[in-house]
Amino acid sequence: MRRATTMPVFAPGWRPRWGSECLILAAGGVYFLAAAPFIPGLASWENLGNLLSNLLPLLVIAVGQTLVLIAGGIDLSATAIMAVTSVAGAMVMRGVPGHGPVAALAGVGVMLGMGTAVGWGNGFAITRLRLPAFMVTLTSMMFFSGLALWLTQSQKINGLPAAFNALGGNLAVELILTTAVVGLTAWGLGRLLAGRWLYAVGHNPRAALISGVPVGPVVMAAYAFSGGAAALGAVLLTGRGETGDPVLGRYLMLDVIGAAVLGGASFFGGRGGVGGTAAGVLFIKLVDNSLSLQGCSHFTIMMVKGGLILAAALADGGRRRLAGEDQGGRA
Amino acid sequence: MNRPGARLLRGALNQASLILFALVFAGFGSLSAKFLSPANLLNILLQSAPTVIVAVGMTFVLLTGGVDLSVGAVMFVGAALAGKAAPGGAGPAAAVGLMLAAGALLGLGNGFLVARLKVIPFVVTLAVMSIGRGFGLWLTETRALNLSNEFLQVGAARVLGVPVPVLLAGAVLVAATVVLGATPFGRQLYAVGQNAAAARRAGVNTRRILLIAYVLSGVCAGLGGFLSLAQLGAVSSKFGENYEFKAIAAAVLGGASLQGGRGRIFPGALLGATLIQAVENGLVILNADPYLYPLVTSAVIFLAVLVDATRTSLLAESHRRQIRVEP
Amino acid sequence: MIEFQGIEKRFAGVRAVGPVSFDLPPGATLGLVGENGAGKSTLMNLLGGNLQPDAGSMRLAERPYAPHGPAEAMRCGIAFIHQELNLFGNLTIAENLFLTRFPRWWRSPFIYRTGLRAEAGKLLAQVGLELDPHTPMDRLAVGECQLVEIAKALAGDPRLIIFDEPTSSLSTREAERLFALMAGFRRQGRSLIYISHALGDVLRLCDDLVILRDGLVAGRGPARDFTIPRLISLMAGRVPEATAPAPTPPREPAGAVALAVRGVSRPGVVRDISFELRRGEILGIAGMMGAGRSELARILFGLDAPAAGELRLHGRPLQGATVRERVRRGMAFVTEDRRGEGLCLEASVADNLALAALPAFARGRARRIDRPGLQAALTPVKAAVRLTADADGRAVKTLSGGNQQKVVLAKWLLTKPGVIILDEPTRGIDVGAKCEIHELIRALAAAGTAVLLISSELEELTALCDRLLVLNRGEITATLARAEFDQARILAAALPGERSA
Repeated sequence: MRRATTMPVFAPGWRPRWGSECLILAAGGVYFLAAAPFIPGLASWENLGNLLSNLLPLLVIAVGQTLVLIAGGIDLSATAIMAVTSVAGAMVMRGVPGHGPVAALAGVGVMLGMGTAVGWGNGFAITRLRLPAFMVTLTSMMFFSGLALWLTQSQKINGLPAAFNALGGNLAVELILTTAVVGLTAWGLGRLLAGRWLYAVGHNPRAALISGVPVGPVVMAAYAFSGGAAALGAVLLTGRGETGDPVLGRYLMLDVIGAAVLGGASFFGGRGGVGGTAAGVLFIKLVDNSLSLQGCSHFTIMMVKGGLILAAALADGGRRRLAGEDQGGRA
Repeated sequence: MNRPGARLLRGALNQASLILFALVFAGFGSLSAKFLSPANLLNILLQSAPTVIVAVGMTFVLLTGGVDLSVGAVMFVGAALAGKAAPGGAGPAAAVGLMLAAGALLGLGNGFLVARLKVIPFVVTLAVMSIGRGFGLWLTETRALNLSNEFLQVGAARVLGVPVPVLLAGAVLVAATVVLGATPFGRQLYAVGQNAAAARRAGVNTRRILLIAYVLSGVCAGLGGFLSLAQLGAVSSKFGENYEFKAIAAAVLGGASLQGGRGRIFPGALLGATLIQAVENGLVILNADPYLYPLVTSAVIFLAVLVDATRTSLLAESHRRQIRVEP
Repeated sequence: MIEFQGIEKRFAGVRAVGPVSFDLPPGATLGLVGENGAGKSTLMNLLGGNLQPDAGSMRLAERPYAPHGPAEAMRCGIAFIHQELNLFGNLTIAENLFLTRFPRWWRSPFIYRTGLRAEAGKLLAQVGLELDPHTPMDRLAVGECQLVEIAKALAGDPRLIIFDEPTSSLSTREAERLFALMAGFRRQGRSLIYISHALGDVLRLCDDLVILRDGLVAGRGPARDFTIPRLISLMAGRVPEATAPAPTPPREPAGAVALAVRGVSRPGVVRDISFELRRGEILGIAGMMGAGRSELARILFGLDAPAAGELRLHGRPLQGATVRERVRRGMAFVTEDRRGEGLCLEASVADNLALAALPAFARGRARRIDRPGLQAALTPVKAAVRLTADADGRAVKTLSGGNQQKVVLAKWLLTKPGVIILDEPTRGIDVGAKCEIHELIRALAAAGTAVLLISSELEELTALCDRLLVLNRGEITATLARAEFDQARILAAALPGERSA
């Protein structure tokens, strides 16, 4: 008996389903256990702390991307939003006199507001102007990464308020912030009206519309959320680096989309979830971390990650074919 | 619907990319007489030759309803191979062979994964992009490689007064137009892009069509990479970066649809690629801040996509079935 | 001509067809009937090479026949005209006809356009379609597309042509044109297999019949030995109460006006539509395919905007109300496109059932879903449509067509609608589910819901409705009360006049 690909609103009791998230979580566990004896330092507390702090910003951004993927879209502009909010926030904080908590607050507010606004703009162009999501977010990626470079003339912006740097630099703060945002999102996807609407829109926007779902606003909200999540990731990373960086996150797109896909999100919409994406992020960062400890260069890691995403897509395809689900051959 | 104004508007929208093209040229031309000089126009063609070729390959993939994000990495792998082989005495001829072979091989990999193993094109080509770029960086040890002067000579050479890159781009355009328009493969490619399941039922070998489309995209990326190399004379670690987006933008500007089944090589891909290059060239001539280039280019692309979407929805409106003829 | 010997096909271990054995004499027309899911399409896909059997064999003209793909089946002289048309709007008619066998310039890979046009012209002439072969396909009407599909089948000069539900999207006139073509093919000595739910057509057109039920042959013989009631009982495996649903018993006069429509027009679609729909009333809309029935329903539900006219729901204007507001105010719409617009196929049954009523179960400012409340509300609704309780977690796409339609209905029942618009609610579903849906519609009306029923089946309309509107080219040409229901009268109002030819 084939079962639905998303958890129903009323799960008749939790039971392990061999969905993508379990698969990837298990793969991550096996990998960790197998690699730990051979890579000295992998299982040390210090390294695990490192791993965690590297993982959290990516998790926030990938969760934002997951929401867009559930809605059946794609957000290529997430990394550009990170860069532009990073420099805009830094400029604002440098401009606010005092360099104290007030400046930090203003900076964070500007960054989150700007990220959400850019994401909302993407959503507006996609739903109201009916432009293809790929092209809209592609052009906004080009535009905002260009804007970040133009604003700073490629210079990094130093001298940010200490209160701001503490946000990204302090693991405990970072952990609490991220857990709150990600946990609330996971809860909302399953339990709130908006979350159920999001899945319905991703499954079939026409059926959702006829069932009284406000399709346009839901999709716009997903993009706005993705933009906001990218900005929050930028807050964490900018604080950690203590600089406004015009090329922040430029190589992160692969990790973001890879994590979501590893976690079972689909480009056809309606599939995926926060749990899966978190498992995907964990796996990618674990591989990243273990290879770095082994002294592998960044290009080796790039190749491995590419191969990993391919393998995951193949495994997921195989799993779904075994389960008798349909496959699509289009982007 | 039959008011002359509406008809004029629809006519204008149908030729939107041409009009946009003319507007850009007229705009820059009015700001600087130098822009429209024959030498500069030829220069634009010369600069856009690699993009034209890569965009042609991209059009094949877009027509199937897929996308190829790996073309930039393919260019880089080919260039890295050529760069590694060059000090050992390999000239441009050997380099072009290497680059085409690398393109065909990576394209074959993409095509195999998409057509046979049915993995989503976006994921496949994103992964191959990462693998390819990593491999290229490993080859070059992340250092820039300088090539012999022979390469630059190829880039600057002329046959009957026409630069070799322009000739090559022209040849690719003609060949691709003929393949798409006048061979069974080309027509079947359109069918697969329109509705792959229906094409399979109709007896079209959809796997073969998909495979060939990705191989052609890889080969075009290899050739485009060679021309780009011949113009730059060196391989940096950023060679070909973001070229996939440039090629997609060029193909879409020329009227290709990301949904598949719609798009043309001529004038589509040619127009799109030269338009992007013309904007950049015009900004250079106007001595604009180089940081503004991506801002203006992306704005132009956005505008073109917007116009195209308006056109499509207006056409859909007028194609809608009429139940009754209004008196 | 063709012989099935113990053919069997399984999907994921579940038997879809067989073992089935029967044969078709050369030059004969075979009617293949059965409920949805009885295995007709699977059997024909085996014949057409789209699927390979798990057991058994086929013989074509006394020789073993085991095609590995549609192309091979075509070479063997078997043409398959699918229910959904395999045509490409971005190609020309000629290119569609010769997609897999383009004429070439001598030994070159290039298409010989002049030859292509000539060959295509010949094929189009055979089906009586007078169009330039280089016309783009997307300019053609549905009936013309069907003819192109048949012309495509003729290109291989087939000995056997399979028609799978060819009339389901055709007007009466287009269908008659198709039947005339089929008669021509028979005179040319070709064998035909005709699959249809229109049993009257099947009896009229076919020499032999094969009735499938649950993948097995439930009956076969010359067509003259069968009647429609007997066919139905063989298809369903039980004795039918009657061919048509029993008429709704006479009821109390209907209640207050629920939906008032006044002078609604939309250029090119409908003109000056006015009617009133009362509580507890079942109002039918009859008309030919393309008369504007579904388009009118879309306007009423707010999916398309009317250019003129006024809509009132329970006395309050509906102007400018979005679909969401209409749903909140008690409107419901079962569309004709069940899979495309009615359901999220990949999602679970429970998620589909809950979708329209979700806002009513959202609590607090965060709009948290009250899951126990929703669960409790669902139980009686599922019982009303006789959906089994364990279906909740299954993906809707794994259900049969009838059960899928019940999910759509149950989704709307959960919203407790005051006005429900049903567009072809029983199209393409099996006889059993059809009866259940008819009962459900009556129960809805009896409970005071205003029902607007659009259907192409006159029996369905005349049995269920209290009143009937006839739509013709976007205009109401007749309003009939129950006593005036008469097939001839309805058809006369629905058929376009000669001026429109």
